[in-house]
Amino acid sequence: MPRWGMVIDLDKCTGCQACSTACKSENNVPYGSPDDQRRRRDIYWNKVIAATSGTYPRVNTEIISMPCMHCDHAPCVTVCPAKATYRREDGIIVQDFRRCIGCKYCIVACPYGARSFNSREQKEEQYLRPDLPPDRNVWGQWPFPTRTHGVVEKCTFCFHRIDRGMKEGKKIGKEVVPACVEDCPAEARKFGDLDDNNSEVSRLLSSRAWIRLREELDTKCKVFYLLK
Amino acid sequence: MKNRKVRSSNETEQNRVKLNRRTFLKLSIFAGAAIGANQMGKPGAHSASPLEKTSRRALEERWTATSCLNCPARCGIRVRVVNGKAVKITGNPNSLVSEGKICPRAHVGLQVLYDPGRILSPSKRGNREKGREIDPKWIPISWDQALSELTQRLKSLRDVAQPHKLLLFSGLNTVSSEDVIARFADAFGTPNIISGNGLDIETEKSGNWMADGHYTGTAYDLDHTNYILAFGADILESSRPLSRFLRKWGRLRREKPNRTKVVVINPRYSLTAAKSDEWVPIQPGTDAALALAMGNVIISENLYDTDFVNRWTTGFDSYKKLVLREYSPVAVSRITGIPSEVIQRIAREFAQTRPGLALRGRESINRPEGSYISYAIFCLNALVGSIDIPGGVIYQENPKYREMPHRVVDDIARRAKDHPRIDLRGTDKFPAAEVVTNQIPESVLEGIPYPVEMAIGFNSNFNMFAPGTERWDKALKKLPFYVHISPFISEMALYADLVLPSTTYLEEWGYDHSPPGSGFAEARIKQPVVKPLGNSKSVTDIVFEISKRLGGGPAQSFANVGDQSEGFVKFRTETLMPWKEFLEKGAWVGKEYEYKQYGRIFHTPSKKFEFYSGNLKSLNSKMRKGAEKDIDCLPNYKEPKFLGEKEKYPLILLPYQPLLVVENGSQNYPWAQEIFLPMDGVGWETLVEINSETAKILNLRDGQAVWVESPSQKIKAKVKFSEGVHPEVVVIPSGQGHYSYGKWQKGIGVNPNEIIGVDYDTISGQAAFFNTRVKVYRA
Repeated sequence: MPRWGMVIDLDKCTGCQACSTACKSENNVPYGSPDDQRRRRDIYWNKVIAATSGTYPRVNTEIISMPCMHCDHAPCVTVCPAKATYRREDGIIVQDFRRCIGCKYCIVACPYGARSFNSREQKEEQYLRPDLPPDRNVWGQWPFPTRTHGVVEKCTFCFHRIDRGMKEGKKIGKEVVPACVEDCPAEARKFGDLDDNNSEVSRLLSSRAWIRLREELDTKCKVFYLLK
Repeated sequence: MKNRKVRSSNETEQNRVKLNRRTFLKLSIFAGAAIGANQMGKPGAHSASPLEKTSRRALEERWTATSCLNCPARCGIRVRVVNGKAVKITGNPNSLVSEGKICPRAHVGLQVLYDPGRILSPSKRGNREKGREIDPKWIPISWDQALSELTQRLKSLRDVAQPHKLLLFSGLNTVSSEDVIARFADAFGTPNIISGNGLDIETEKSGNWMADGHYTGTAYDLDHTNYILAFGADILESSRPLSRFLRKWGRLRREKPNRTKVVVINPRYSLTAAKSDEWVPIQPGTDAALALAMGNVIISENLYDTDFVNRWTTGFDSYKKLVLREYSPVAVSRITGIPSEVIQRIAREFAQTRPGLALRGRESINRPEGSYISYAIFCLNALVGSIDIPGGVIYQENPKYREMPHRVVDDIARRAKDHPRIDLRGTDKFPAAEVVTNQIPESVLEGIPYPVEMAIGFNSNFNMFAPGTERWDKALKKLPFYVHISPFISEMALYADLVLPSTTYLEEWGYDHSPPGSGFAEARIKQPVVKPLGNSKSVTDIVFEISKRLGGGPAQSFANVGDQSEGFVKFRTETLMPWKEFLEKGAWVGKEYEYKQYGRIFHTPSKKFEFYSGNLKSLNSKMRKGAEKDIDCLPNYKEPKFLGEKEKYPLILLPYQPLLVVENGSQNYPWAQEIFLPMDGVGWETLVEINSETAKILNLRDGQAVWVESPSQKIKAKVKFSEGVHPEVVVIPSGQGHYSYGKWQKGIGVNPNEIIGVDYDTISGQAAFFNTRVKVYRA
């Protein structure tokens, strides 16, 4: 069984946020509004953040693109009272909308702020995507044509792509990758099996200095950042 | 999922689902019905019942190769269309300019297409009064009525032999539409096509023209360069073609044996600066001095490429004398505020880490002295021999579309042709200019050189994007008859007497190529990925139709170039590639770039790279009577000119264009709006950034509302203290402050162009953007 992970090269990353817009369109993630942003209710499955330090003229801003970290020791999984969020065998942390009771405990538990609560009305028309099958409520397929009100949602490593690619016998990490990886113009993102020593992600991790965010929490997350 | 006919979206082979004819017919009927019910992104009938056996229903899915138009780079894209609805945009691997990659704005294309604010029917103004806050009271009319009214007015201009009094504004259009508009203007008899280029980077072009004779943007061979000096060049934000820069950034950093070092010189800590290796803040407007000081170091330490300089340049001795005499690092350190050791170090690094490139962008050259700054920076490339070599400056080739038959210029058009142009290009005021966009308001308001009777705007929105927006509003108000053609009611359309709904780029035919960047030629197709929404028509089709109705020269000029947009595109591109293959692949790529064509690339009087500009000299002697000064033909530093007194307006306004500004004239796109300012982690607003020390002196509180006031106007926005801003500078992003339409843009943020004072680079006619002093105080 593979263990999917992502490597983001901060030296190649340009901070353009194509990962964010590619994710929004691929996964039909709701867009926000000024009011949503003020109340921190806007939804991102992949958010690019900036961390600035220093004083003029010796200032430094790190631009960090953050999908869900898909921790092997995921705090969100531990705390979920409804078992709505769980770790798949291939290491992807998923959210079952049918089981989710919307208690937001996982949002509090997640050290990376990777989760969003969907407070929208499901029938907001602009989210309708007739090409996509209905959500898990009915048929059990991702991603969704409509949004599900009152649940927590987050990045899935585009597992709809991976699952289909696996079935079709494609090479995951080469032929099939998540949308943010595919559409990264600088090719700063790589996706693949962390347990496979020959995968590109493993090769990158063995050849470059890397970090994981909030390593001290021992979440054993599977998104790695390569440094300059 | 097994039963579905959907294919994975990142499949690299062919784009189309194989359907047999029968299923296809069945499905297209179904898809047609869905479009009908679905026009503005409303729920389709088929998603009504969740219990419908959706997973078994076959979906008609197509991938169509076309190209983007959210900025002039026009990158190759593929669009996934399911049941008649465009649902996903990704890059086209057949396009090599950006190696099949796209920037985030390309994804936003879906929201451009399905923008709920689009206009879908021609409309006439019901309210005769015009103004920013005044409701035009649009009255929908038919295409026939709209076009007959338009042609009647056009005809009456020709009837009195005054076709030159027609003014055409061309905003962001496909290359094919630009060609059609230019042909129309010639056949009609007006020399007055005004593009938005004069608001962009004409100074880059004029700087090139002074040095190598090419009045074009610069192309850089980014694959092989080992050192980049970016003078105000936001190569990861607004340089073009952007997606090429983004893609090559990955290559520069980690896909070649030695990592390219990037040094950014800019008063603002830009996104590019944040991703670079070194940020050198500079006193605004002094980039030329820095470039010349670097020339001083490179020459005095003998680090220049003697072989290239001796064989392929002229004027080196005068240049050498000048930089050694006037631009020592110590002297320039006082001008630029950069320590002389830093100047020496980056000069040495640049000269010794070859091939190196000196890039310039808006923030260094969109100034009154812009052409000379541009020239001074560009000369650094020649000093280190980075001209037409791998990793250096290269010379863009463009696709050779099939020649159109000679346009028919009838008597009326011929007589009108010799009238001077309304933007005063080529006159003493703007001797070398190709277009002076921002001159139009004064020309229209004062009626010089003659009054304008009528204007047509093609996707233009200059009263948002030009400095001194108020003048534009006044001028538009004064136009006797203004027709606006665009997919939405932009700020310019508010002043129209007639609006015609054009299609977005995802619904129309066209051909396109990028601004200089790749070196090799590449043409890309635009083909409709979905049917045009409502009653919209493409710009090309509208012009064809008007010409036909006008008769005479215009009709004859469009008689043999294909019948409408599709035919026209086919006619022009068939010589490049078989039509079917072009539709399928979406891109035609020319032959590989050949370096070191020194025998033919220099278009200067000496046929060499000129440190002493022969082009400028001949212009000088042509335009001005009396003796021209020797220094004027050399790159030189002039003390930066600012509007406003320093005592009253102590700070310098520095507007910049964030990456997510969609350049089609609208910003009503939530995907772009919510992540608008990545360095600040916010969207949906304009932040006035100011150095935290300066802010403390001014007694401001972080986050409070402030007025930013220039000698001409003032705007109010939220202030943000920053460590990444030169102490004498106020940074404001452009792109917001729309007031015309759209719940995702109207009333959001402010537009810095409203307070920028009007000035020009007098050689190129480029509007200055970094020329205004302001004061900031709490609101």
